[in-house]
Amino acid sequence: MSFASLPFVGLVAAGVILYYLVPKRAQWLLLLAVSMAFYLAGGAKRAVWLVLVAGLTWLAGLLLEKQNARPAPDKTAKTAVRRVKKRICAACLVLCFGLLYLMKYWNFTASALPSAIGDKLPRWDFVVPLGLSYFIFQAAGYVIDVYRGKYPAQKNPLKYGLFVSFFPQMVQGPISRYDQLAPQLLSARGLDWRDLKFGIQLCLWGYFKKLVIADRAAVLVNAVITENCPYGGAVVACGILFYCIQLYCDFSGGIDITRGVARMFGIDMAENFRRPIFATSLTDYWRRWHITLGAWMRDYVFYPLSLSRGFGKISRWARAHIRGTGGKIFATSLATFIVYLIIGVWHGANFRYIAFGLWNGVLITASLLLEKTFLRWKAALHIDDKSAAWRVFMTLRTGLLVFVGRYFTRAPRLRSVFTLLKTTVLHPQPSQLLDGTLLSLGLAKTDFLVVALALAVLLTLECFQERGVHIRPALEKKPGFVQWLAVTALLLAVLLLGVFRAGYIPSGFIYTQF
Amino acid sequence: MSSKKWVLVFLATVFVLAALLAGLNAAVDPFGAFGDRLLSWFSYDETNNPRVAKLSYLEQHHDEYDSYILGCSSTSSFPVDAFNEAFDARFYNLIMYGADMRDCEKITRYLIEHYEVKNLILNVYLDNGLEYDEESDRLTKSLHYKEDPDTSALSFYTRYLFADPRYALAKLNALRTDTILPQTFDVFDERTGCYDKRVRDAEPIGSAERYLESYPVFADYPHQTLSLPYTEPCMQSVAAIRAMCEEAGVNLTVVAGPVYAAYLKNYQTEDIAAFYRSLAQVTPFWDFSSSSVSCEMRYFYDGTHFRNNVGEMMCARMTGRTDLWLPDDFGTYVTADTPEEYFTDVLSPAALSPDEISAQVPILMYHHLSEDVTNSEMVSPEQFEAQIRALSEAGYTGVSFDELQAYVLRGAPLPEKPVVITFDDGYESNYTLAYPILQKYGMKATIFAIGVSFGKDHYKDTDYAITPHFGAAEAAEMAASGLISIQSHTYDMHQWPPYESGSAVRENILPLPGESEEAYVQALTEDFTRSRALLEDAAGQPVDVLAYPAGQYSTLAQVTLQSLGVHVTLSTNPGVNTVVRGLPQTLYAMLRFGITEDVTPEALLDMIR
Repeated sequence: MSFASLPFVGLVAAGVILYYLVPKRAQWLLLLAVSMAFYLAGGAKRAVWLVLVAGLTWLAGLLLEKQNARPAPDKTAKTAVRRVKKRICAACLVLCFGLLYLMKYWNFTASALPSAIGDKLPRWDFVVPLGLSYFIFQAAGYVIDVYRGKYPAQKNPLKYGLFVSFFPQMVQGPISRYDQLAPQLLSARGLDWRDLKFGIQLCLWGYFKKLVIADRAAVLVNAVITENCPYGGAVVACGILFYCIQLYCDFSGGIDITRGVARMFGIDMAENFRRPIFATSLTDYWRRWHITLGAWMRDYVFYPLSLSRGFGKISRWARAHIRGTGGKIFATSLATFIVYLIIGVWHGANFRYIAFGLWNGVLITASLLLEKTFLRWKAALHIDDKSAAWRVFMTLRTGLLVFVGRYFTRAPRLRSVFTLLKTTVLHPQPSQLLDGTLLSLGLAKTDFLVVALALAVLLTLECFQERGVHIRPALEKKPGFVQWLAVTALLLAVLLLGVFRAGYIPSGFIYTQF
Repeated sequence: MSSKKWVLVFLATVFVLAALLAGLNAAVDPFGAFGDRLLSWFSYDETNNPRVAKLSYLEQHHDEYDSYILGCSSTSSFPVDAFNEAFDARFYNLIMYGADMRDCEKITRYLIEHYEVKNLILNVYLDNGLEYDEESDRLTKSLHYKEDPDTSALSFYTRYLFADPRYALAKLNALRTDTILPQTFDVFDERTGCYDKRVRDAEPIGSAERYLESYPVFADYPHQTLSLPYTEPCMQSVAAIRAMCEEAGVNLTVVAGPVYAAYLKNYQTEDIAAFYRSLAQVTPFWDFSSSSVSCEMRYFYDGTHFRNNVGEMMCARMTGRTDLWLPDDFGTYVTADTPEEYFTDVLSPAALSPDEISAQVPILMYHHLSEDVTNSEMVSPEQFEAQIRALSEAGYTGVSFDELQAYVLRGAPLPEKPVVITFDDGYESNYTLAYPILQKYGMKATIFAIGVSFGKDHYKDTDYAITPHFGAAEAAEMAASGLISIQSHTYDMHQWPPYESGSAVRENILPLPGESEEAYVQALTEDFTRSRALLEDAAGQPVDVLAYPAGQYSTLAQVTLQSLGVHVTLSTNPGVNTVVRGLPQTLYAMLRFGITEDVTPEALLDMIR
C-alpha cells in the first residue's frame, strides 16, 4: 500500500478516529490491528516472513533476558553466561541477516560468481516483503540491546510485534529504537489536537515533496539516465541533479508522512533527515542524511568493530608499523571504511552499490587520514574556518561529492556509471540545455516552473530551520486566516500539482491510441 | 487559532474541496458514469470510455434496441442500418476500442440478463488473442460496475467522483467548440453506437498515389513482431458467449472482420491459422479476415479499421444480397468441418488488380456555347463539334453518372474509354447548339442547371438581362432522348454579386461569414431540396448529382448533400478521376477539365489521356 494512495489515507483516517475512541487500554492493540491491516493489504504471503523474523527476535530477546536474570556469583559463571548469551545473539543475527541475504543478495551473488560455479547455484524468486531490511535492522538492534542489557526484553509477543511492525515506518524507515518507540506505542493517551494538527501538517508537507517535486523530477530522470543514454554531458548532469532532488524529496517526504502519521497517534518518531543540503563535509552529510541508518551502523557495527579484540590487534600492529597519525588512526579508519561499504551494500544487490560504498568509504577515510595535512594547508593559506565564504565553499564541495556519488546509485549498472561520468566531463554539449532537448524529456515548461518554485519554497523553509526557526510554531502565531490560507494553498498544490499530475489522457489522444 | 479549531477548519476545507470535485465530476460527467443527465452528450463520454458510457446510454435507451453488435474498435464498421434490414431488427453497435473477449463475455451476460436481446453479432479480431482482460487505465479502459462482477459500485463511483478534474473541464471546453461533424473528442454516433465516420466517409478518394500521400501509414506500415498468447482464454470466452446465447435463445452470429494485410504480417502464419482454427472449433463464423479486400489500402481508414463501405459489403455477403459489388473471395462461412488447409491458404489472398476494381474517367466541363466567344468559359459550336468528333473518333464513349454509380456500387461494366461531358449553369445554348451535336455523335452529357435561372433570361426578379437559360420544356425533351441528364447546380447558391441587393451574397455553396452551422445546413438543405424538386419535375429524372458552384465545397457541405441523397458531386479541379468499385467516395468532388475555345481537339485528347 503506497503512501500516495486513497486506501492508505483512508486507513490512517479510520485508525486515528478509532484510536481516540477505543478504551485507552486497547489503544496499542488498535495500532497493531491497523498495522496488520496495512500488511495484509500488501499480500498475506509476504507478511509470513515478517512474522517469522518477529517471532525469532522476540524469542531471542526472551532467552537473553533469562540469561541476564541468571545469578552469576563468580567470574566463571559470568563468563559462562556471557558465552551462552553470545551464542543466542549470534544465532539470531545470523538467521535474520541470513534471511535478508538470501532474499535480497543471493541471486546477485550467484550471478556475480564465475559462471562455472554461479550457474550451478539455485536461484530464488522470493516475494520480498515491503521494508524487509528496515524490519530486520530494527529487530536486530533490539536483540543486541537486550544482549547488552540496555533494557529488559518485551515478554508480550503482541506488544513486541507492534514495535517491529508499526505501519508508518515500514515503507521507508526510520529505523527506530525499542527504548524510544515502544513506550510511546504502548502508553495510553488522550486526544491532543496539537499533535493532530502537527501530524496533518507534516503529512501534507511530505506529500508536497513526494508528489509535487519528486514524482515530477523522476520523469526527467527516467528519460535521461538510461542504459544507452543519447544525451550530452550537460543533460546527463541535469538528470543526476534532478535525481538528487527526486531522491531527497521522495525519501524525506516519505519520512515526513511517516512521522506525521505517527504524530497523529501522539507518537514522536526519530528524525531521519536534517537538511543535508547544508552539509559541509561528507561525514556531516551522513549525519544529516538517513540519520537512523547511520546511527544504527555507529552503534551496532562501528563501535563493536572498533572495540573488538581483533581490531585491538590491528590497532597495535598499525601503531608499531605505520609512522605518525596514520598509525594512530588506522584501525578507526578501517572501521569507518567498512561501515560505509556496508551502507553501500545495504542500498541493494548490485556492483554499483558496492562502488557507492567504496566512493564514500575512500573519501571519508582519506579525509580522516589527511586531516592534519588539511589543517596545515588552511593555516598556510590563512583560511578562517568561521567565515561564510569558507562554509559556502565547503558546502558546495560536499554537494559536488554527493552529486558524483549519485551517479553510482542511479546509473542502470556499474559500467554505465563510468560512461555517464565520462560523458559529463568530456562531452558536455551544453547547447542541449537550450535547444529544446530538455523539453523533450517528458516535462513541460510548466513542470520545470513548478519544480523551481517548489524547490524555492523548500529551500527557504530549510534555511529558516537551519537558523533555528521552528516553522510550525512560528506559523501558529499568525492570524487564523493566514494559517488557513497557508494550509489550503498547500492542500491545493498537493491535489492539483501532485495527485492529478499524471495519468490524465486528453480525449483526442484516448481515441488516437486505437 | 486553537489547534482544535485548526484541525476542524482543515477537515472542513478538505470536505468542501472533495465535495466541489465530486460535484463537478457528477454534473459534467465526462465518462458518462452517472448517466450524463445534465449534458446528455454521450458521444463525448463514449470517446473517453465507451465501456462505461455506452452502458449508461443503454440503461436509458435499451428499449429502442433489440439486437447488439459486440467487439473491439474494428467492429465500428459493422453497419447497423444494413443489419437492421437484413435481420429485421434494431441493432446497437457496442464497439469499444481495445475491447478484449473478457469484456465481451461480461457485457453479453449483462445484456442477456437485463435487456431484450434477439440477435448478437460478435466480431472476433486478431487483437483478441494479443490482449485479454486488459484494464491498464482504470478511468478509460474499465467496464461499468453493472456489467463487471469484478468491480464494486463503491470503487466505481469513487473513481469517477474523484477523477482528475481536467476531464470535466475538457468536456466543458469541448462543449464550446463542438461542431455538427465529429472532432477527436466526440467520435461516436450515440444513436447507432458506431464511430461517427461522416468526415472520413465524405473524403474524396481517387488514385492509390493520392491516398498514399494523404495516409503515409500505408506506405511505411509499422512492422512489429506480435504473438497471440491469449488465443485460448479468448476462445473460452467466445464459447461462454455462445453457451449463454444458446441458453437464452439469442441468435448469435460470429464474424471475423477484415484485417489489413500488412497487419497480418506482424504475426506468424501458424499463429494466425491456429487462432481462426480454434475459433472454428468453438463456433461457426463468417470469415472476412483475409481476402483480396485486405490487400487494398483504400478499403481501410487506417492500418486497423476497414471502411463502412466494406462493412456494407460484409452484410451483403452474409445475407446473400446481390445488389452490391463484392470480390468473389470476400467472406467464407467457416465451420468445425472446414478443411485444415483453408486456414493457411486464406492467408495468401490474390490482390485485386487495378483493372478489376478501377477505371480512369475524365470529365469535361463546358458552360455556354456561342458563335461570339467573349470569355474563357465560352466555346464556339464549331470548336465544340470538333472536340466531340475527336473524342468519338478516338474511341471515347460518353457515359452518364448513373453508369459511374453502377460501376462503383454494383460492379457494372464501363466502356473501354469512358468520358463524361458536363455543362454548368443550364444555358439555352446547351439545348440549341450542343444538344444537336451530341445527338449527332451519340454522346451522353449532363447539364447542371441553376434553379433560379431555369428558363430565365433576366436575373431573378430584376431587370438585369442575362444569357438565356433553357426551361422545363427543353429539359424534358433532352432528358427523354436518353442522352442528356439534368442535374443540380444548386437552386440559388451561385449568386452574382453585382445584381444582388442584400449584403449576404451566396456566390457558392460555402457558409456565409458568421453563419451558424445549423443555419447553414438548413439553408443548404432547403436550397437543394428546392432545386431537386424543380428539376425532377421538369425533366422527370431523379436528381442525385450536384456540381459545386465555382468548384467550392467543404466537408460539411459534402456530408449534408450525401444525407440528402446526393451520390455524386463535382469540383472544378482538373484531373482524370480514378473510380473504384466498392468506394462511393471516388464519386465525390470529382475532378473536371475546364474546356475553353483554345483547346484544340488534339490538345483535348492529350489532356485526358
